[in-house]
Amino acid sequence: MVSLSSYLIISMILFVTGITVMIGRKSLVAILLGVELVMNAAALNFVAYSRYMTDNLDGHVFSLFIIVIAAAEAAVGLAIVIRFFQIKETIHVDEATQLRN
Amino acid sequence: MIQQLLGFLSYYIPEVMLVVLMTSLLVAEASVKDEHGNRDKIYAYALGFLGLTLIPLFQNSGKAPVHVFFNAVTIDQFSTLVKIIMVIGTMGSILLSRTSKDIYTNLKSEFVILAVGVLIGGMLLASANNMLTMYLGIEILSILSYVMATLKRDESTSAEAGLKYILYGGLTAGIALFGMSHIYGALGSIQFVDVVDKVGSLQGIQLYIVMASFVLFFAGLGYKISAFPFHMWSPDVYQGAPIPVTTFFSIVPKLAGIAALIRVSMVFFTNNTILMNSWVGLILVVAAMTMTVGNVTAIGQNSVKRMLAFSSIGHVGLMILGVAVLNEAGIRAIIFYGIVYMFMTFCAFYITSYLNDQYGTDNYDVFRGLIYKNPLMALIMVGTLLSLAGIPPFSGFVAKFNIFNIVIEKKYYGIAIVAAINSVISLYYYVRLAKVIIFGKADSNEEVVGFTRFNQTVILALFVPVVLLGIFWDKVFTLAGSAAIFIK
Repeated sequence: MVSLSSYLIISMILFVTGITVMIGRKSLVAILLGVELVMNAAALNFVAYSRYMTDNLDGHVFSLFIIVIAAAEAAVGLAIVIRFFQIKETIHVDEATQLRN
Repeated sequence: MIQQLLGFLSYYIPEVMLVVLMTSLLVAEASVKDEHGNRDKIYAYALGFLGLTLIPLFQNSGKAPVHVFFNAVTIDQFSTLVKIIMVIGTMGSILLSRTSKDIYTNLKSEFVILAVGVLIGGMLLASANNMLTMYLGIEILSILSYVMATLKRDESTSAEAGLKYILYGGLTAGIALFGMSHIYGALGSIQFVDVVDKVGSLQGIQLYIVMASFVLFFAGLGYKISAFPFHMWSPDVYQGAPIPVTTFFSIVPKLAGIAALIRVSMVFFTNNTILMNSWVGLILVVAAMTMTVGNVTAIGQNSVKRMLAFSSIGHVGLMILGVAVLNEAGIRAIIFYGIVYMFMTFCAFYITSYLNDQYGTDNYDVFRGLIYKNPLMALIMVGTLLSLAGIPPFSGFVAKFNIFNIVIEKKYYGIAIVAAINSVISLYYYVRLAKVIIFGKADSNEEVVGFTRFNQTVILALFVPVVLLGIFWDKVFTLAGSAAIFIK
């Protein structure tokens, strides 16, 4: 029997992994992957809570919307990364240092 | 069922009109040949259509508040008033994108399309009444904003601005979403209408889950309004993005974010004392830090755009003090502040934009001796700066005074002192720019090409409210006074 807490633990691991990837990795594509991980952690939470804690389908609907929005955000993100790559010829995040104090 | 939906739609006419406008602009963009006259027509069409959406908005503001689309969206006086301000803000930014050379020369009407899209997201956010619509609003607003920041495709600064925006944005949106999922788990519903009752009876572990989740959730909204500690993107994006986009960013997304913050605060934190106290504490600390960081960092800046970005962080710090008091007086003060801040931002950015077109930079130096080149514009800029600093005859003073008033009424003396010190700090860097304008020696006496008669008239028209709202503020205040939040 899979319990709610096992889902929550998995989503917590996903969330922490996503944040770590975003902070630790220097490649822009990897950072965007981290964003996806965090969003999927939230989507998993919604579905799990919807199944175990409530009698409504709000969580399921919410997770579908999260999938759609994550796709849109990834599309825009990759487009901007491509533009950055065309100008700077690198996708290393440390090269984005033109704007600073 | 159909009739019910149509009844709901009758409250939703402004948004539907904007969607129609956005689609028709996309079609026009693809099908109309890019000759000079045609482009003007597209801009005029967009501005006229946006003006038309004000009519149903004003009609909505007279109606009794309702929840439409099965409690997903609420149409109340507060959200309608915020929407009116946002529509006017969008119109002003679109006009600037037409007259400024910053993006007009190498773009067709992308700015208009994206701005209308962001406006739709902002409207959704301002009247969101469950977590799903709120999240959708935030994301529609954000995703289109990322594209807008990158509008100057060929410049590395613009690409970098968009990159920083989307990386910070993705991170904070993800964190906020994670917080939202736990709030949903603890409360069992995403509808604000259901949540209001449940919050009151929260106890034990659930209460702590909700408290912790709200700290995460605040990341999403705090990032949109660039509150500390999520303000890091703001100066970089403001500096890198083209000026019309910067103008737009400092008005529409910010107002929408603050409107959403107000609604969340009123729904979740008025029924439960423990939750309320911790939330107010969080907001007060965030407000104090936001003000201080914004104003102190603004001192050392040399780029006017960057200085205005930090100053807008400082202003947001003041504005969210109106959220912390959790009452109608706070909402009124915030709306008044929003209106005034919009006009001040317009004046400052319009003038900066035309100088930027002329000299290719927005350093303090381009303002040197502006009073000899164009006395009227120089005086307006000085007036705007004084108003931003909160000097009495101008409306910025009244706006700040209102915030101080409500904060002191609630006996938050500590934060009032912090805010007062910050006002003094902000005076320093505003007056520094004013000094450059009046006492600086101009290198040459050449005319600024951007200050055509039409542009000067527009700037003057935008400056009039900055002065008048400082004198006849009670009129707008009665208007804002009817802006009640409708929860149930």
